[in-house]
Amino acid sequence: MEKEPTRVLVTGAAGQIGYALVPMIARGLMLGPDQAVILHLLDIEPAAEALNGVKMELIDAAFPLLKDVIATTDVMEACEGVDIAIMLAGFPRQEGMERKDVMSKNVSIYKAQASALEQQAAENCKVLVVANPANTNALILKEFAPSIPEKNITCLTMLDHNRAIGQIAEKLNLHASDVKNVIIWGNHSSTLYPDVNHATVTTTDGVKRVRELVADDHWLNKELITTVQQRGAAIIKAWKLSSALSAASAACDHIRNWVLGTNKGSWISMGVYSDGSYGIQHGLIYSFPVTCKNGEWSIVQGLKIDEFSRAKMDATEKELIEEKELAYSCLGQSI
Amino acid sequence: MAKEPLRVLVTGAAGQIGYALVPMIARGVMLGADQPVILHMLDIPPAAEALNGVKMELVDAAFPLLKGIVASTDAAEACKGVNVAVMVGGFPRKEGMERKDVMAKNVSIYKSQASALEQHAAPNCKVLVVANPANTNALILKEFAPSIPEKNISCLTRLDHNRALGQISERLSVQVSDVKNVIIWGNHSSSQYPDVNHASVKTSSGDKPVRELVADDAWLNGEFISTVQQRGAAIIKARKLSSALSAASSACDHIRDWVLGTPEGTWVSMGVYSDGSYNVPAGIIYSFPVTCKDGEWKIVQGLPIDDASRQKMDATAAELVEEKTLAYSCLA
Repeated sequence: MEKEPTRVLVTGAAGQIGYALVPMIARGLMLGPDQAVILHLLDIEPAAEALNGVKMELIDAAFPLLKDVIATTDVMEACEGVDIAIMLAGFPRQEGMERKDVMSKNVSIYKAQASALEQQAAENCKVLVVANPANTNALILKEFAPSIPEKNITCLTMLDHNRAIGQIAEKLNLHASDVKNVIIWGNHSSTLYPDVNHATVTTTDGVKRVRELVADDHWLNKELITTVQQRGAAIIKAWKLSSALSAASAACDHIRNWVLGTNKGSWISMGVYSDGSYGIQHGLIYSFPVTCKNGEWSIVQGLKIDEFSRAKMDATEKELIEEKELAYSCLGQSI
Repeated sequence: MAKEPLRVLVTGAAGQIGYALVPMIARGVMLGADQPVILHMLDIPPAAEALNGVKMELVDAAFPLLKGIVASTDAAEACKGVNVAVMVGGFPRKEGMERKDVMAKNVSIYKSQASALEQHAAPNCKVLVVANPANTNALILKEFAPSIPEKNISCLTRLDHNRALGQISERLSVQVSDVKNVIIWGNHSSSQYPDVNHASVKTSSGDKPVRELVADDAWLNGEFISTVQQRGAAIIKARKLSSALSAASSACDHIRDWVLGTPEGTWVSMGVYSDGSYNVPAGIIYSFPVTCKDGEWKIVQGLPIDDASRQKMDATAAELVEEKTLAYSCLA
């Protein structure tokens, strides 16, 4: 018997990442090749015609798994009954804008989105925030949607996770599929910490540690880290547009692993509500290594953290605490 | 045991359609979830930095099936050993350009691409031309790559085929996966003929003819046809950009069905080298209904053609013959 379709919301759907993401969802790359989907596409009024163009193209592609498309500028209609919500919409930083201004704009967007989701989404809706500042947008969403279980609100660091894997694979002249268990700690920003201390590579001689195979601590502790941290800017420089293809693909990986489970022996990175693991302050959305099973994520516990890592993990935590304060000051509230 | 990777070339890879297409290929949408791929991406020197940006993003996506990337502005390097070639690169029509000018530009592009493919591609390379004028670009490619079997050179009308399925599914409020066997005859242009005379819909009481279920010949013979013919323009109007998502997806469908076979009882539309079937002139690339098996396509024979269809099929054939003449005059 065919499965009931899953309703997937994409906000900011008329934009670049949305355009890359929706065909991936419609092809089963997010939820599996046997899971029918109904797409809910939301964008703002000025983008209504472009949004309709996306809907038209989705119909034109005759995707077998796509059972319906709801394209709307009405947030309540968009959120109705959704099982998965991918939040791409946000206010992009424009030249001359201060950090506080960007934060302020996004904080009010995510406060409003929180409300609509809380009222309209299906129970147990899984939320993935992509729009930057991703971690803090997700935190605001969580704070203003108290009836959505905090474990269901996440942000995307899988892009950074995949970028780290890509860099290591290139360095070793291997395939990405041979590298696993990097960790992205912290904020999806230039303070993120790509940690390879537990990462491994599958070789013809068995599984080896990345540190051992790369045999270049200087590269691993410096260049790899800055490359991954600044990769977004490097893409913009080459492309003149920000990463859509890789962000969309990472969003699919994040949801697919969450819903269908991580592979045995592998973990991924997800921005999740901190429970104090690894000495990270409660109440932040912080990226941790997680495994997933039965639709639930759980933080990989007990990994050894060296001094170098500790300092980096603390630095990105500090930035997240600052962002949280800034966000709350924009809302005129104390934490 | 894991399969050997297949090499897939995308020309014009730094453009809109390329950007939509390459992640689909890298995820197995084109050749199957168990078929590793090596992507070859070609574009012109002015697009070299953007092309490198696409390569960087493909690396950043850590696709499990993607076993290598060759990003180049050199046609010989890009074509080396490729098993599948998707030709998206072409000269787009600009404001004020005459049809002859667009044709002239594209004809020289496809003449040199033909040469590079013939010399460097793997034997039995399957070629799909997407860039417009798709049928005539494919014909030029065929003419200048004589050692590539003519059956291996095709053009994309699957987008129109899928658009037709989509329109019918919307009209009947059924799922698109329940509609099948439309036909796109002829040129991937506004003279294409979307034919529903043999199309059917899966219902709870078995397969029913589309004509019967829609019960509106005026719509099927009028608005439906012009909607499908002009859909490209409608997308541009809404998006301010041409269809990339749906074109890329249809290119995947075209190759996937060609390589992996069409489902039982179902045919698809492909622009292929005409052998004179259905009284279509031989020696042009014309879209026909085909089934695919063991990596080969075969025109569905014996379908009854009514007068109205005959006229439309002839009109689009006439346009293709004109385009062929124009193309050859540009080369003279």
